[in-house]
Formats: sequence, structure tokens, C-alpha cells
Amino acid sequence: MIKHLFILIWNKKKQNLLLMTEILFSFLVMFAVFTLVVYYYQNYRREMGFEYEPVWVINYNNNYEEKPQAGSNYALFETVSQTLKGMPEVEGISYASNNIPFSMSTNNTDVNYGKATEQADRYSADDNYPKVMQLEILEGRWFSKADDASKYRPLVINKTLRDKLFGKENPIGKLVGKEEDKNLEKVIGVVKDMKDKSSFQGFEAGCYKRLDTSSFKWISRILIKVKPTADAAFESRLHKTMSNLLPNSSIEIEHLAKKRVSKNNITLVPMIILLVVAGFLIFNVALGLFGVLWYNISKRKGEIGLRRAIGASGTSILQQIVGETVVLATLAMLVGAFFAVQFPLLHVFDLAADTYLIALVLAMAFIYGLVIVCSLYPGRQAAAIYPAVALHED
Amino acid sequence: MLRNYFKIAIAVLKRRKFFTFISLFGISFTLTILMVLTAFFDNLLSDNYPDLRRDKSLYITTVVQTNSKEKNTNSGPCSFYFLNHYVRSLKTPAKLSISSIFSPTNTYVNNKKLVIDVKYTNDEYWDVLDYTFLEGKPYTRQQIESGERVAIISEATKKNYFGDATSVVGKFIETDNQKFRVAGVVKNVPVTMVYSFADMYLPYTLSKSDYKNKILHGMYIGILLPESENDKEKLKAEFQQMISKIPKSEMDEDLDHLSVHADPYAITFTRGLFGGESDSGLGKMVLAGTIFGLMLLLLPTLNLVNINVSRIMERSSEIGVRKAFGASSNTLVFQFIVENLILTILGGLIGIVLTLLVLNFINNSNLIDNIHLTINTTVLGFSLLACLLFGLFSGVYPAWRMSRMHVVSALKAQS
Repeated sequence: MIKHLFILIWNKKKQNLLLMTEILFSFLVMFAVFTLVVYYYQNYRREMGFEYEPVWVINYNNNYEEKPQAGSNYALFETVSQTLKGMPEVEGISYASNNIPFSMSTNNTDVNYGKATEQADRYSADDNYPKVMQLEILEGRWFSKADDASKYRPLVINKTLRDKLFGKENPIGKLVGKEEDKNLEKVIGVVKDMKDKSSFQGFEAGCYKRLDTSSFKWISRILIKVKPTADAAFESRLHKTMSNLLPNSSIEIEHLAKKRVSKNNITLVPMIILLVVAGFLIFNVALGLFGVLWYNISKRKGEIGLRRAIGASGTSILQQIVGETVVLATLAMLVGAFFAVQFPLLHVFDLAADTYLIALVLAMAFIYGLVIVCSLYPGRQAAAIYPAVALHED
Repeated sequence: MLRNYFKIAIAVLKRRKFFTFISLFGISFTLTILMVLTAFFDNLLSDNYPDLRRDKSLYITTVVQTNSKEKNTNSGPCSFYFLNHYVRSLKTPAKLSISSIFSPTNTYVNNKKLVIDVKYTNDEYWDVLDYTFLEGKPYTRQQIESGERVAIISEATKKNYFGDATSVVGKFIETDNQKFRVAGVVKNVPVTMVYSFADMYLPYTLSKSDYKNKILHGMYIGILLPESENDKEKLKAEFQQMISKIPKSEMDEDLDHLSVHADPYAITFTRGLFGGESDSGLGKMVLAGTIFGLMLLLLPTLNLVNINVSRIMERSSEIGVRKAFGASSNTLVFQFIVENLILTILGGLIGIVLTLLVLNFINNSNLIDNIHLTINTTVLGFSLLACLLFGLFSGVYPAWRMSRMHVVSALKAQS
């Protein structure tokens, strides 16, 4: 049966070649679309790794660098910390570098261990960071006062960086960095991955450096974990307090929950536009396919009439028409799949192979669905041909 | 002859309405997508309120300092000092607008939080950019220098802060715990105008960060508007010369190479994205855009080719007769391409109508505040070009197939 369908297709190879090209490109478009959708969906399903809901952030521009000693800045920010902690709505505070969750700012660094080098996001945070963000520590510990006197600067890495750099080794206590730079850092802990760029973020390596008293020269973000009682009135009061404490700074208060929504939109909006455009393209193709198949049936009335006359049932005619289209689509998609599998094989983008595979299967299912739906109606038309009428026409 | 072709084309269109619908749908929707995208880019890049003299102006947005050995790069907006001291020293007569990148501030009105984006500017900012003042007027150099606490606010800020008050000039507005006297209200600017958008404009002397710092990096950008358009190239050359003379001592520690450009508006974006120090990146962006456009056209074109091939076979008897009476292949190919162009142009017209509807929807839906997308002549020109390309691409192959048909088989293939 299938062999017969192949022969039928081969007989009209010229016309079918065009149809196949069209199916091939539709398949590639759908493969690209599904790869993105699957990738984002897989990422979206993963846990955030931290609690953003109760966390606010105070942005202040730090204009205090001209002060002669770091010590005076330290005194100033010690007052800020004490005042904030004294507020009944505040559960905890942590200073952090500008690349706080859902901000536009990123900071990269290379982390070396032995011969391996990995690029990672570099965050700076103080000792209270895990408490404020409710970040889980998987191995070792977070920074503490004990690090004040240590010989090497402490470093905490996230799970992804740990897996990439150390594999099965125990990372705690290992020194990373380049030997010749005399800038070695000691890994003291491993934390969960934080999806801090958006809900659609993939696995990204990250490392955390400890903020010490000299950092107050440049730090300009404070993360605050607030209690549920914190409302707009409290925010207004907080703003006033901060403005009075730091008269030379502009103060802006943001909520991580809101920042997350706008950061997600940066991924979502182009995605939606892409889906709409792809949707129209595919609708277009579906109509075209439908039209061409329909036209072809009307040209093959004689052939179908003859089959009916010698006893073929309506169902088997329908099967033949749909079967032909399915074989056509299979041929096109075999070529398409050849191109598609190059992506995971050549690691064109840094995506996991299973993302591509799922996308491949989904794209195939989609195209099969599409061609079957498009050929059903023309197939029914063909099945409804009366042999007497069809043969009479010729 | 063309009139005849036209008549035939219309007759063919009427014959199989479903096919006509598919063809027109494909063409018009593809063109709508292309046109809406180009309208958006056009809105980003061409003259728009309040930046009405973009092709005359030069934009200084980024200072890049590098260390050639260690490949360290430090890149960001300019400092007030750099613009006011170095760029100001240029001899070619030009106006220099200095304004900060807008940054958000908070204010609380009746326990409701309001985010006000603030921009610090000099007085020439108001000359270089053409803001429409709904009331009041811009602050003067004298007011700036004496540190008067005055502010220009946008219409939206007026509504959010003062409610329905008719006139607010002279009233006080508080943000970031500071009070300012409103000196004027300007028409809203969409946020897509990255160099001129803000909710509130303040004299640079009121900036909390120190604008007198003698460093090159800061939070300001400059716009140079030469007095006569002929001076633009001269100004650019003088600017580059001035940059090369800036002493190393002015640069950040450890960095030894300085690169700043006074660029036309579009290039301020393409240089960062695609270009580099000597490459404006514009060519690469146009190339990328063209490739994307062609990719978008590929599927609908294939679709149209498929349909055209089917439709042409339908007309085999007509072709057979014309061939039998001596029409050459070229004549037939020409006829068919003309017919196809008529079809695509018809689709294009429908596409323009659809585009107008979509743009109207986007403008009214507040997807982006205060944006106003329009089809302008450039967009229209490009769309018509796309239309022609579309018609040619989708017409050539079927026409070629048709012209090679044998007279006998064409006459015989009767359906």
C-alpha cells in the first residue's frame, strides 16, 4: 500500500516537489517556534530558587566616594542598616551589587579551576543575603564574620557552576582563580540556582562575592525583606527616612515582584509577536495546501471514479488521499529533520538536546496534524464521487 | 494590450473565488506584517516629536575607554564635564544640548506611589529639541546657574500629580523628597524616544550627583545641532580631532584608549549592536533586516507559487489556443507575470488597509504609552517594492512552466 503511494507521488514529482518544499519550510519554521516554546516552558516550570514576593529594593546613587576614608562611609551605612532594622515592618536587609534580581544590569567574570574556565555571573552580597532572599544553601555555608580574617577571599558558587567546574569533586575548600594573578578565592559554599533574570531563565552559572566594609564606597542597592504588614504608607515613610539619612542621594524604592513582571515581558512580548507571525504563516500555508489538494482531486476524478467502479469503498479512497499527503509530508520532514538534528549535534545554541528532540516531535506532530486536516475535506470530496458520473465525464 | 491583460486577470480572479481568497489573504497578511514592523522601526528612527531635526543633529551618547593590552573595556554615557568642557570647545558654530539619561524617582501622593522619571538638562536642550509647551516656558540659563528649583513636567505627570487642575504653573511638585516650582508643562513623549523621554525635566545644577567631577564617564548625553546643515561633516571631523587630543591623564586608571563618536541618530544604536570603533554597523543592520524580510516572504511566496501552478494548469486550454495561433512563449510569460503583479498589487492594497487598521489599534490600545505609528512614504515605498518582488518571485516559475507546455497536450488536457 505504502509502496503504491510512493509510486503515485513519484509519478507527479514535479508538482509534488513544490508542495514538499513548502511543507519542508513550514516544518523548519515550526521547529524553530517549538524549540523556543519548549525551552521557555521548561525553564518556566523550574522553581525560582528564591522568594521575590516579600522583597523590596532601595536604589540610591552613591555619591559618597570622595570621602577620604572608607571608615566614614562605613559609619554612615551602619546607621542606615540600624535604622532600617529598627523598623517593625522590616524582617531583614542585605546590601547587594547593582545586578539584583530582575534588573537590567549584568556582571560577568571568568572562574578558573585547574584547566577549566567557566564564565559566570558575578554577584556581590553581604552576610544576610540568603535570609533576605530565602536562598537555600546546598553545601558548605554562606559568608559570615568568620571570613573577616581568612587568608583567601571567600566565594560561594551556584549549583550550575559547581557542576560545570567540579563535576563529582567536592568543591568546598577548593581554590579558584589564576595562580599567577595571586587573586585566589576559596569556595566555601554552594547555593541553589536563582532564576534572577526572568521566570524564563535557563541554567546559568553564577558566583557570589562577599561585600566588606570597603564596599560601601560603591554599593548602591539595599534589598529588604518586609513583613506582610508593609503597605504604601510604610513605603512612603521608608522613602522619607532614607532621603533624610542619605541627603545627597536620589532614593527609589522598587518591588521585586513588579520588576519580575516587567522583566518577563521582555521575553514574552517578542515571543507573542513571533507566535502571531508564525500563526499567520502557517494559516497561510494550510489554506494553500488545502487549495492545491482540492484542485488535484478535481483533476483526478476519472482515476478515482475508475477505482470506485471496480469496487473500492469510499473509505479506502479517503485513506488513499490522506495517505498520499502523509507520505509527502514524511518525505519533506525527513529532509527537514536532517537539518534540525544538526542543531543539537553541532551545539549551535547552548540548549539541551532534549529541548530540540521534544520540539522536533512536536513540530512533526503539528505538521502531520496540519496536512491530515487539510487533506480530509478534499479526501471526503473524492470519496463522494459517483463512479457513473465520474466516468461519464471523460 | 495591458488593458486586455487586466481584464483577463480580473476574469480569472472571479473564476475560482476560493483560490483568489487564498492568494489575496497570503499577500495582504504578509505585507501587513512587514509594514507594521517597518512602521515600528520607522517610528524609532525617523524624526518624531520632540526630536524633529534628527538628520541635522549629531548624537554623542557613549564614551568607550579601553585598555589595549588587557582588553578591559569601560563603556557608558558621557560626563557633564566631558560635554561641557571638551565638546563645548568645538569652533564650528553649533548648539549643544546636554541632558542626563532619565532615571526614576518616587513620590507619594495620598499614600499612592508615583514613579517620576527625571531628566537633568541644560538650557540649550530646549532649543535643540522642539517640545510643545502646553503652558509656561522653559527655564533659562540664568535660572539654571542661580540654582533655581524649577521643573518642567509632562502632561501625564500633571494629570497624575495634580489631577484635573487647569493650570499648574507656579504650583509646587514634590518628588524624591524635594520640592520644585512648576515652570512649564510639555506634551507627552513616548518612551521609545530614548534621548528625550522623561516625566520631569530639571536644571542640571539640581542634580544630586556631582556634575563637576572631572571624569569622562557620567550619566549625560549630548546632541549637537550645527547652525547650518553644511557644517555637519565639518563638525564631525572637528569632533574626532578633538577626541584624539584628549590627554591620557583624563582617562580612567589603567585605560589607555578613548573612543567617542558624534553620530547620526540611527548609528548611535547600530554602532553598539553591530559595529565597532571604525564600523558604524548600519550596513550590517540593513543586511540583517533584509535577510529577515526575505525569510518572512519565503513561505508565502512558495505558497503562492503552488497555487499559481495549479491555477495555470486550469487554463491550459486557453494557453493551448493562444500557442496554436502563434503566441510566443515570451508573450505568454509576460502576460502571466503582469497578471500576477495585478494580483499582488491588489493584495498590497488590501494589505495597506489592514496595516492602517492594525496601526490604529496599536495607537489606541496604549501598548506603548503615547506612541503614534503611521504609514509614511518610506514605509509605503518599501511595501510596494516588497509587493513587486513578491509578484515577480511567485509568478516567474509558474509562467516558465506554462510556457514550456506543448500545444497538443495543452489543448488535450481538458478538465
